[in-house]
Amino acid sequence: MIALGLEGSANKLGVGLIRHSPGAPAEILSNIRHTYISPPGEGFLPKDTAKHHRAWVVTLVKRALKESGTKIADIDCICYTKGPGMGAPLQSVAVAARCLSLMWNKPVVGVNHCIGHIEMGREITGADNPVVLYVSGGNTQVIAYAEQRYRIFGEALDVAVGNCLDRFARTLQISNDPAPGYNIEQMAKQGKVLLDLPYAVKGMDCSFSGILATMEQLASQLLTRKPKPLVDSDGNEVTKEDLCFTLQETVFSMLVEITERAMAHVGSSQVLIVGGVGCNERLQEMMGLMARDRGGSVYATDERFCIDNGIMIAHAGLLAYGTGYTTPFEETTCTQRFRTDQVHVNWRA
Amino acid sequence: MANANPIATTRADPAFPHSLTISVPLPTPRLATTLMRSLAVDQELSPLVHRDFHAHGSTLVVSYKATTARMLRVATNGVFESLGTLLRLVEELDVGVMSEEGL
Repeated sequence: MIALGLEGSANKLGVGLIRHSPGAPAEILSNIRHTYISPPGEGFLPKDTAKHHRAWVVTLVKRALKESGTKIADIDCICYTKGPGMGAPLQSVAVAARCLSLMWNKPVVGVNHCIGHIEMGREITGADNPVVLYVSGGNTQVIAYAEQRYRIFGEALDVAVGNCLDRFARTLQISNDPAPGYNIEQMAKQGKVLLDLPYAVKGMDCSFSGILATMEQLASQLLTRKPKPLVDSDGNEVTKEDLCFTLQETVFSMLVEITERAMAHVGSSQVLIVGGVGCNERLQEMMGLMARDRGGSVYATDERFCIDNGIMIAHAGLLAYGTGYTTPFEETTCTQRFRTDQVHVNWRA
Repeated sequence: MANANPIATTRADPAFPHSLTISVPLPTPRLATTLMRSLAVDQELSPLVHRDFHAHGSTLVVSYKATTARMLRVATNGVFESLGTLLRLVEELDVGVMSEEGL
């Protein structure tokens, strides 16, 4: 079976084609993406993002078909991101999915974005039943599978960790190309000073808005040198790289802690990190240290699958389709709020 | 290929005084229905805007009426943007077009 997957819940437009054959691993026929990158100091607004997706969807779908030599007749279903995410971008992609479905006479499968990340992570890494840390610009959740649902054990109470990183990047005019988080990671490698930040872990959950507020204050002090220059405990001036380092060390420690708590609760030793922030090698390293202490291991994917992409939507959609599921055409809507545990994962035992 | 020439005409309606009707001529009735069904799934976000779709033969007719000019502008801007994508999709990715390219 072959599925076309369309993803556009944030600023990445992803198109993927995947083939499932019985008894064989999933085969990626095409996985292409185009990202709407806003100027430094700015975030991406729904209206502009939707415009970007509308402008690129035809080009990407055509390229995916041509490069993989896939014929329309071979495609079994059109999968699209139903949610969660930003309203206008989601809708711009859903309209395209509906049109393709009608033109090509194929059923549609609406997919939960988070489940897409989880299922692609499992497929690529082969992790059997890990605790999943899903961290991105829009989501921060600790997830464990039980009885045909991906259950949320802990999550960010206010904004996602990636959102905190991205908004901090704006205060220092850090480039959004290829992604603000990537540039923060590179700068953090040159940082050494660990300043004091609020550490907001609340049981299984965590919070980032207070940390962001503090970082914005520190960034402002660094840039304006008012009321006085920003210095460390030795009186040396703190650099932008030090701020990046401080932020990463703090928030990643928080993520490691809530993940470890879930692992202890569930009795698992495997961790799977998915989502855009999961590309971060420092996060992977810190998680690895914790997992090894518990006699376990960390699984992570590379940027082809960590960052939002169409193949994960095609994959998760095809898993559902394989159990007989399709989304009735009149229900191919989008929703900004779509909880991970709302989906009945009936393709797993 | 579909050349969209939206003909905007206004009609009076006391409760929703600001209205716009967009007629999009397409090559075939199938394409008119395709565009209509693709657009019709999404509900109008505001109760201050009412929208109707009709496919008259090969022409897609979209009628909007709203309580204020601003609401009308916002709603119709949205549908024009969606129409742009849909027209490109049917032009470049329809079954007939793709089979000419061996897909």
